[in-house]
Parts: sequence; structure tokens; C-alpha cells
Amino acid sequence: MIRIENLEKVYKTEEIETTALNGINLHVKEGEFVSIMGPSGCGKSTLLNVMGLLDKPESGSYRFMETELLKLNDRERSNFRKKHMGFVFQNFNLIDELTVFENIELPLIYNKIPAAERKRLVNEIIERMNIVNRSGHFPQQLSGGQQQRVAVARALVTKPKLVLADEPTGNLDSSHGNEVMELLCELNETGTTIVMVTHSSHDASFSNRIINLKDGHVISEKINKGRTEELI
Amino acid sequence: MFKLNLSIALRSLWKHKGYTLINVGGLAIGLASCMLLLLYVAYEWGYDKQFSNYKTTYVTYNNQTANGTILSFNATPGVLAEAVKAEIPGVEHAVHVSYPDERLLTYNRNSFKKTALFTGPDFFRIFDFKVLKGNPAVLLKNPDGVVLSQSMAKALFGNEDPVNKTIKLDNTENLKVEGVVADAPKNCSISFDYLLSWTMFEKINPWAKGNIWGSNFCMTFVQLKDNSFFDKANTQIHGMIKAKEKGSNGEPFLHPLSKWHLYSTFEGGKSVGGKIQQLQIFFMLAFCILLIACVNFMNLSTARSEKRSKEVGVRKAIGSSRKDLIRQFLMESVLLSLISMVFAFILLEIALPYFNGLLGIALVIEYSSWQFWTVLLLLALFTGIIAGSYPAFYLSSFDPIKVLKGFTLSGNSSLSIRKFLVVFQFVFAACLIICITVIYQQLNYIKNKPIGYDKNNLIEIPVQGNLKDPGKFQVLKDELLKSGYASGVSYSSRTITGGGNNGYGVSWPGKNPEEKILVNYRNTGYDMIKTAGMELTAGRDFSIGHADSTSVIINETLAKIMGIKDPVGAKITWDDTPVTIIGVVKDYVFESPYQKTSALIMSHTKYIGSAMLIRVSPDQNLSKAVQFIEDKIKTLNPEYPVDKHFVNEDFEMKFQNEKLLGTISNWFGGFAIFISCLGLLGLALYMAEQRKREISIRKVLGADSLNILVLLNADFIKLVLIANLIAFPLGYVIVNKWLSGYDFRIGISVLPFAVAFLLSILIALLTVSIQSFKVAKANPIDALKYE
Repeated sequence: MIRIENLEKVYKTEEIETTALNGINLHVKEGEFVSIMGPSGCGKSTLLNVMGLLDKPESGSYRFMETELLKLNDRERSNFRKKHMGFVFQNFNLIDELTVFENIELPLIYNKIPAAERKRLVNEIIERMNIVNRSGHFPQQLSGGQQQRVAVARALVTKPKLVLADEPTGNLDSSHGNEVMELLCELNETGTTIVMVTHSSHDASFSNRIINLKDGHVISEKINKGRTEELI
Repeated sequence: MFKLNLSIALRSLWKHKGYTLINVGGLAIGLASCMLLLLYVAYEWGYDKQFSNYKTTYVTYNNQTANGTILSFNATPGVLAEAVKAEIPGVEHAVHVSYPDERLLTYNRNSFKKTALFTGPDFFRIFDFKVLKGNPAVLLKNPDGVVLSQSMAKALFGNEDPVNKTIKLDNTENLKVEGVVADAPKNCSISFDYLLSWTMFEKINPWAKGNIWGSNFCMTFVQLKDNSFFDKANTQIHGMIKAKEKGSNGEPFLHPLSKWHLYSTFEGGKSVGGKIQQLQIFFMLAFCILLIACVNFMNLSTARSEKRSKEVGVRKAIGSSRKDLIRQFLMESVLLSLISMVFAFILLEIALPYFNGLLGIALVIEYSSWQFWTVLLLLALFTGIIAGSYPAFYLSSFDPIKVLKGFTLSGNSSLSIRKFLVVFQFVFAACLIICITVIYQQLNYIKNKPIGYDKNNLIEIPVQGNLKDPGKFQVLKDELLKSGYASGVSYSSRTITGGGNNGYGVSWPGKNPEEKILVNYRNTGYDMIKTAGMELTAGRDFSIGHADSTSVIINETLAKIMGIKDPVGAKITWDDTPVTIIGVVKDYVFESPYQKTSALIMSHTKYIGSAMLIRVSPDQNLSKAVQFIEDKIKTLNPEYPVDKHFVNEDFEMKFQNEKLLGTISNWFGGFAIFISCLGLLGLALYMAEQRKREISIRKVLGADSLNILVLLNADFIKLVLIANLIAFPLGYVIVNKWLSGYDFRIGISVLPFAVAFLLSILIALLTVSIQSFKVAKANPIDALKYE
């Protein structure tokens, strides 16, 4: 589904240039759960942002379902993103001024889904995420785990083909972290492709494949046999 | 500490150049506008206050009851001054002064038509004009004495010493120059080029001689020993005319010289204001603009608080008290206001010549005066402290532990105050737009209202010298008509655009003898109606084929007052002489175009009046025709300048006050709106900063630039809507009050409000979008990755 070739990304300031991605090649199949790991500053978040069309690389190719995405203009990128991608962040990135229901509804509004349909979809996902009794609450009134559930619900409500997760358990304790990882696995089992950046090998163990980055290069790739077998 | 604070302030200003620029720019424009308006207010306020004893000096006004109302004017009998001086205790000096009159003054081959005043020796005791040459004690004591203003002396004599030289008045009277006085300042109601003796006035106007109490033809100025005599003197002067002449209608009273210029409107015999109201508006406008600039400063400074919260935290943690911090922030704002003051000066010096030209005045910055510098310094301090007060208290209130732990300022309370400030600015801006629109509507309405004659292609020339000779006038008229350049030539005892000359002498069958009706009168030549382009509703014009020595034409207003059904042919009396009405002319504007026309009666006279009217043929080239007319007059009357006036230009002068109000409101309103926009831009910067994260999330979730632009702008539009809702009733009350001063006025329509609404929304949208667009286009990940 995803084919990335020779991706390069350089950050420039007045004095120095930092190469964040240095000729990355990566293929992700539909229905895969891929973890990206590596030390701080290795370029994993940059890679995720480029995959999410939130950042532009200097060169290379990024094909998503046979479409070359790096040639798209801002509007097309924005459209593509809202149609096919969902995001889960370490710090949840919920909007404090909106309720749980409204937070989840937001991507549907941007996708111009009619109100009645939006209501149905949001209620459906709220039920699935087990946060029905929280739908009228504001993010500050929820625990970290609950907030991340809302964030995952928001990422899934548009039924994206690809979910990009940036350290989804980074701000959670282990029990809440496990809950979220299980949620992602369930999702993956229903066919959603997931790419996750993480520091935690525990979290990575939930995925099918682990890619290790260092200094902007892919230094190793590991198939997670247990999980793959489980899948089979 | 001071030095440290100063260097921190300077570095902080330098570091945030953008903010500093907006701040300094806004404050400089605000200060410059405020100073310019204050200079103008001081100029108007200073009218007639140049004389040492202005506080004890009074101009005599005269109340007359006519047509059921009391009219007040500063015209008195010529003998009043002497009587006041002789009979009222406490009077130090009293003097009669004629109205300004342009007359020809000649020395050798130098001739000038300049403004003359006839007066007595007490003039120099009341008004201490600086005597540059001559003996102050003897000025104007001799009947043939003349005192020249400095510029008149320079024009006539160049570098020669004028004292004791002989010059000629109107080519007839020989005058001896007794002295030279300094030119009157521009903001002085008494202006003249030369002064002549009262004896000379009586020689030229023999009718003014003697103990006449029934005719009001000059001004009388009274100076008291001190103001404790005022009440008694005022009571005594009140009954003076009636006591001297039974049956007369005048009741004089003393009006302070210092109020002559600004409080010249009277209702029911009492002063009710005048130009002072306009001045009060300008004074308020000056401070409102400054306040708006201060509000800007507050907005921008608190908006920057997010960036400075850490500095406050560190300072507090290492021992700075809240007082120290307040002092530091106030110092920054005073520093900024001082820097702005420098720029304001540059703006002021650039604007001043243009402003002076626009208003026809002579404002100057008096750099050598200590009062000026004191006011200036106080203004800068006041601005700095007002502008800096809220940010100083707000910034210094941060809890050090919270800010150091890196909490994000939710800023709800400060935000709502900032919103309130923006609403305040836009209420002011919307009100101004409403007022400016109404002023222009009213001015347009009055300008386009029919005035009862055709003021275009109409020339008026003062009748002087040879033109007074009926034979020569006839020759000129014939030549002008024959040439085809003129299609009508006539004359009148008054200019067509001016008021004056009125009396109570008109009576008709059925009139209540007790009722006093004031009627304006004009003595005119043949073809007056045709030449001026007036319209007769009944009857005919004075014309050469009729014996018109006892014929009169009245205007519609007088016809209505008379209540005679068919006035043409009616026999009435005028000053006890029987006359016949031969025509009724449609009311034409000769006084204020804003008020209803007064009653008017016109008679025919063979004596050429004071103003000649010439109608240029519409099919002729105007400049060619004017050249031809000037040449003809010059040949006939070589000793006098032609001094032609275009009637439409003279008529425009009637709108001077409203035009001034319109122009000033327009310019300063524009500045106020511009400064408000800077404030809005500041708030937009802050809001964008505050909502950066939220906007990024929305973008990640699929919001496009348009969604974000709508989201950010909606908040500001709401503020501007609220401001408009407040401004509408406020603006309505203000313009309603302003319009109520006019007999002829527009109804208040939806238009000014619609203009204010649309313009304020448009201005706000454009301003905010500069910032919103930037935020909407920014890469969302920049805001999210540093969380």
C-alpha cells in the first residue's frame, strides 16, 4: 500500500543543516502493523510526519495506493489526508474547548459528512471505544487513558486506510498503555494499516514488523514472528 | 536598578521589532493627531485673549424683539460708547468701532484696497496693540489721522518711515500717518489694515452725526475698572437706549470679549454657545484618538505576555517584588511613548503646513515656550502611564511557580479585557463613520437644495469710484450687454450672498400695530430678478418701461406673514411712505442656507448700490468673458482694483464651518480607524499565538486554509458586530443632536449605519486576515512537535 523510496529530509537553520531522513526506503503492505523505533533524533517522527503529509521531504518518492503523494499541492494533500489517514499523538492533541463528542465529530465535519450521518458514526465509535458515558465531558475531565481512547476514536471515525500513531502510550501508565495497544491491535485485525513510532519495545511487540532507524537511515528490520503467527 | 531596567527595556523593544514598530507607529500617529487637534483647540481658545485687559473687556450686544423672537447682534448706536463712559460707574474705557470696510489707500503710485476700521483714541487703551512707531498718547485724536498695521506700512512705504507722511483715502480725503502698530494676530476677531478716526467716519457718513439712538451701525467695546462692576454696569447699559429714545427696541448688554469668538450664538437674548461646541468635539476627539492608541499599546503588550511570562517568573524567583516589576513595565511604556513622541513631532511638522492650508489658519509649534514643553512632557508621561498601566499590573501578577513550570497562560480574563478594549475601539470607529457619513449627507443636501437663484456664471463686483456714477454705470451695462459676454447687469444695496440691512418700518392693512416685524430690505437696479436668475411667483421685475419709484417686490416669506391673498397690486407702507407691491419673488437664500429665509422687501433705486451683479452669457467662455468685463471696468474705473467675486465661490463660504467639521472628522476619524486596525492586528497576533495548537490539530484532522480563516475571523467579526450594536444608538443620539441645530436637515436614514457596519467589518476582516492567513498557511507540525 505504501512505497517510500530514497526519501530525504533536511532541517535548515541559519547556521546548521541537520539531515533527518537520509535515503529512506520503506514498503508497507495493506493490513500491516509496523513499528518504527530508534534513539531520539533518529528521524522517526519526521518519517511519520512525512507519511502523514504533515511535512514535505526534499526529495524521494512516496506512493500511497499507486498515487505519488509528493507531487500534490497543499489542498490535495489536505484532502488526501482527511480521506485516508488518521492520527494518534503521544499528547492526545484533543481540543480543550470541545466535548468528547465534538472532538470525535470534527474530522467528519471537515469531510463534509451530513449531520445525521455524523451523529450515527460518532455514536458507533463511542460505543466501540467504551466511552459512551463520557461523550459530554471535556478532555480535562478525563484520565490520560480515556483521553487517548478519544484520540483513537477520533482517528478512526472516518474509517481511514492508514492510522499513524506517534508514541501513543508515551504519556500513559502501563495499564492504560496496554489498553491503548490492545485497541490498536483490534483495529489492525479489522484491516486498518497502522504505522506507529515508539520508544518502547513492549509496545513494538504488538506490531507485525519493527523498523529501526538511526541518523536518518533504516538500519534493521525485524519481523515479529509471534504476532505474525498469531495473525495467521 | 534604573540603568538595568532601562537596558532591559531597550533590549526587549529591539528584540521584538515588529511589535515595537506597531506600538510606536500607533502611538506616534495617536500623539501627532492629539497634538495637532490640541494645537488647533488652543489656537481657537486663544482668540481675543492677546490683550492685557481682555478679562475686563466686553463687546456690547443688542437684543431686539421682532416677529415674536429676540434677536441678538453686536450693533449699537454710535453714541452709546460716549454715554456709557460718562454715565456708568466702573467703566474705564469705552469706544465705538465701525464694521470692517474695504477702502482704497494711496501713497504716490501705490494703491491698495484694504480693510479699514474707524474708531476713537480709546481703542488703543482697550486693545493694547504694540505701537511700533508714533506716539501712543495721540493716536487717532486728529480727524485726519491714520494708524497703519505693520504689513500695510510695508506695502505702502517699503522701507520709508511712514510717520507724518500724507496718504489718500478713496482718492478724496488726505490723511496723515500718525503711527504704525503690529499686525493683529490671526486668532483675533478685530482685524484691520489701518485705523481711521471717528470724526472721519462722520465726515464720510454724515447721517451718523449727532445724537442718534435709533440706528445701530457700529460696535461698542467697554472696559471695566474691574469685574466687580459688571453686574451694575450690565443692568445700567440694558435700559440705556430705551431711556434715551422712547419707543426704540434695543436692549444692549455686555458680552465678554474672551467669549466673542466661541460663544456667538444667542437664543432668547442669551448666549447658548457657538463654535465652542465644535471645539469641544475636537477636544474630545483628540483624547479619544490618544486613548485608542493607548488601548492598542495595552492590547499588544498583554498579547506579548506569553513570551514574557518566563522572565517575570525568573525575576520573581530571584527576589524581585511586584512593585519592581510594575516599575519596569511602566518604564518600558514611558520609554516607548517618548520614542513615539519624537516620531509624532516629525509627523506633526510634516502635517502642519498642510493642515494650516486646509483650514486657512496659522498654527505654529512654539519651541521656545516652556508651557509647550511642559504640556508635551506631561502628555508623553500621561500616555506612557495610561498605556502601560494595565500591562504592568497584568504581567507582574503572574505566579512564578506556575510560569516556571511552563503552564500555558489560559489568559481568559486578560483575553476578555482585550476583547473589551477592541470593542471599545470599534464602537468609536463605527460612531465616527456614522457621524462622518451624516455630516457629508447633510452638507450635500444643503448644497443641492435650490437657493432661489442661479449662482453659477454670476459675478459680483463692489461698486466704487466711477462706478457709482449712474451715467457711467449705464455705459458699462450697455457695452457689456452689446458684447454678448453678459446677459444681464444690475446692482443692489447689499451683496447677494450677505445678510444685513433690516428694519421694522413695513406695515400693511390689517397688521397689528403692536407687533414688530423685522424685514430685510434691498434697493436694487432694473432687471435684478432676471440677472440673478431668481423666480417670480407673481407680478413683474423692476424695468425701465415702468415708473417704479414707489414699487416694491416682496419675498414669499413676507407675503405669508402679511397674509394678503393676492399681494400683487396691494398698497402697503414702508417707513410711512405708501408703496405698491408689483411682484412676489420666490424665497432666495441670503443669510444661512441652513435656516428658513427671513422676510425681504426690494425697492428700485437709481443710486447705484454697493454691489454690481453681472450674469455671464451661458454660451460664452467664462474666462474670456471675465477678462472682457475686467478690462471694461478697469478702463472706466482705473483707480480701483476690479475685485470681482464669483457668487458661487462666495456662497461656498457659508459651508465653511460644516466643511471644516467634515474635513477634520474625516482625517482624524481615518487616523483613529487606522490605529484601531493596528490594535486589532495585535489581538489577532495574540489569538493566533494562543490557538496555534488547536489550529494545528484541526489542520491535521483535515481542515483546509479556508476553514481556519473562517474560524479565526469569526471571533473578530463577532467583536465588531457587538461594537456596531453599541455604536448604532450612540451614533444616532450624536447625529440627531447635531442635526437638530438646522432648520433644513436630512432625515437620519439607514445608510450611515449600513456604511459603518460594512466598512468596519471590511476593515476588521482585512486586518485580521493578514495574520489569520499566515496561521492558516503554517505547517501544523511546527506547533505540535514542541508540545
